[in-house]
Amino acid sequence: MDIVFTAATVRYAGRVALHPLDLALSERRIGIVGLNGSGKTTMARLINGLVKPTEGSVTVDGLDTVADEKAARGKTGFIFQNPQHQMILPILAEDIAFGLKNRGLAKAEITERTETILARFGISHLARRRVHELSGGETQLAAIASVLVTGPDLLILDEPTNQLDLKNRALIERTVAGLPEHVIVITHDLALIEGFDRVLVFHEGRLAADSRPAEAIGAYRKIAAC
Amino acid sequence: MSTRDIVLVALFAAIIVVLGLLPPITLGFIPVPITAQSLGVMLAGCILGARRGAAAVLLVLLLGAIGLPVFSGGRGGLAVFAGPTAGYLVGFVPGAYVCGLIAERLVKEDQAELSQFLSFLAASVVGGIAVVYLFGIPWLTYVSGKAFFGTAAASLVFLPGDLIKAFVAMLAGRAVLAGYPLLPQRA
Amino acid sequence: MLNALDIEGDSPLHRMPVRGKLILLFSAAVGLFVVSDLRLLVPALALSAGLLLSTGIGAGQAFRRTRFVLFTVLLVAAANYVFVSPHEAAVVFCRLAALVLLAAAVTATTGISAFMDEIARLLTPLERYGFVRAADVSLAVGLVIRFVPEILSRYRDIAEAHRARGLPVRPLTTLVPLIILTLKDADTIAMAIDARGFRRH
Repeated sequence: MDIVFTAATVRYAGRVALHPLDLALSERRIGIVGLNGSGKTTMARLINGLVKPTEGSVTVDGLDTVADEKAARGKTGFIFQNPQHQMILPILAEDIAFGLKNRGLAKAEITERTETILARFGISHLARRRVHELSGGETQLAAIASVLVTGPDLLILDEPTNQLDLKNRALIERTVAGLPEHVIVITHDLALIEGFDRVLVFHEGRLAADSRPAEAIGAYRKIAAC
Repeated sequence: MSTRDIVLVALFAAIIVVLGLLPPITLGFIPVPITAQSLGVMLAGCILGARRGAAAVLLVLLLGAIGLPVFSGGRGGLAVFAGPTAGYLVGFVPGAYVCGLIAERLVKEDQAELSQFLSFLAASVVGGIAVVYLFGIPWLTYVSGKAFFGTAAASLVFLPGDLIKAFVAMLAGRAVLAGYPLLPQRA
Repeated sequence: MLNALDIEGDSPLHRMPVRGKLILLFSAAVGLFVVSDLRLLVPALALSAGLLLSTGIGAGQAFRRTRFVLFTVLLVAAANYVFVSPHEAAVVFCRLAALVLLAAAVTATTGISAFMDEIARLLTPLERYGFVRAADVSLAVGLVIRFVPEILSRYRDIAEAHRARGLPVRPLTTLVPLIILTLKDADTIAMAIDARGFRRH
């Protein structure tokens, strides 16, 4: 799993969200931190093509996120902050099947893959439950399952534990730790990324630090302090 | 329609359904309970515009037709469409569309407050009342057979309540425009 | 929260395909409005009532579901009684009530997914002209069912906050925040949908 940013820039009307970024990512566990508005969210959304670079390019395993949008997006799964915004169909199993339906798979295969992923995360008993009856942690777990069922190589999580209580936070932390896929986590919860391979610190649209967690987090604390 | 439009339409349809589940609200100054669902038609046009507003209302009708209890008071199913008031239900869709069309054309974000109020009121009355009645009354008179004059006259008893709803839609439309504008602006 | 109105069963109507039932309903509507003879309309009403009960729904539930519409039918019939004649009132009542009960029988014997499949089939010709995609419609239906409970509970939170501040629960002060807060979510929900490969322009 290789992600390459080549002079990737993102400009909105009048403002620069991300200054030209050159970066190559291939580690299994990458953390991204930064103050709100630092560009970290924009950078993460460049990877799965939800945001297109105004200049420059982003490739995922050689696939350009603009030219080969669909294929590139197929390689990444994206988890958002609010669990409630991600489950879009009323019954859990239906929601998980949603991602597969878009790929035109046969009904039998969809059912099989849904059951497999539910079992993998230990939530088979929740299959027929109504999504709005699940706890925050269960919902976030279900969201992860529904995103991973299509088999992406990379999972990006954007502040996944922000709205969860301590118990559910621990659940997500354990789940993420056990994922064989590559994982990129954007978070304010620094404990979550302590054991990661690499941490990027963004500040005012630029990469301010890029190293092992200890040093990077130290740099981040300095930035946040002033 | 973009994905965002589909979500807006679905969320608004869900709001209209919720309006039907709420107990009828009494406005302070007139002791007439308002069934909020037809208010939802005017709001759909005023807030989402013609296309999305009509789509939201159509979506609610579809949900009701396929057997979900989405109409006022938890009713649903095809029986509602077989009754004398079916014309009003069907008329909700063009009603929301016309309401939205007028709102899109008349309302500008940089207008004086009074102009915006009057534009939303016009949209709600013409779309939410006139157009809806245009569909509702003919069907009602048709099923009434020879007593059509009596029933048509009797149906006008809902007009005062509907005018109140138009006022509420006017105020709410403007407030939502101020807080989270979604109305497409057309010249 | 939103429980579908169809009921389990194995009656002839249950086994009939959706399209057949809709055609039946439509033909019945045409027939009922063309005919004015009580000798035909009264049996038609009896037949409809029989069909509704044959679905296994039970008289109480059947009445509860249709009573509001039947009440409006009664009002129209009453208008006929007053302005025209008792005979005409009976004609109008039998005709409309027969249609209402038949429609209720179709609803009771047809599940949501059966309807949605039929809609997908009916939309296929329209899809070719780019008017509407069946996938969009089924997503929209799912989204509504999914979010109605959330929005209802958000309304309750808003009403509770009002009461906590000693404010009367009025439509304006509750509906405006309800609408704004709900519609604001549309962006992230749309992003979550697109992130899973649904992308529309």
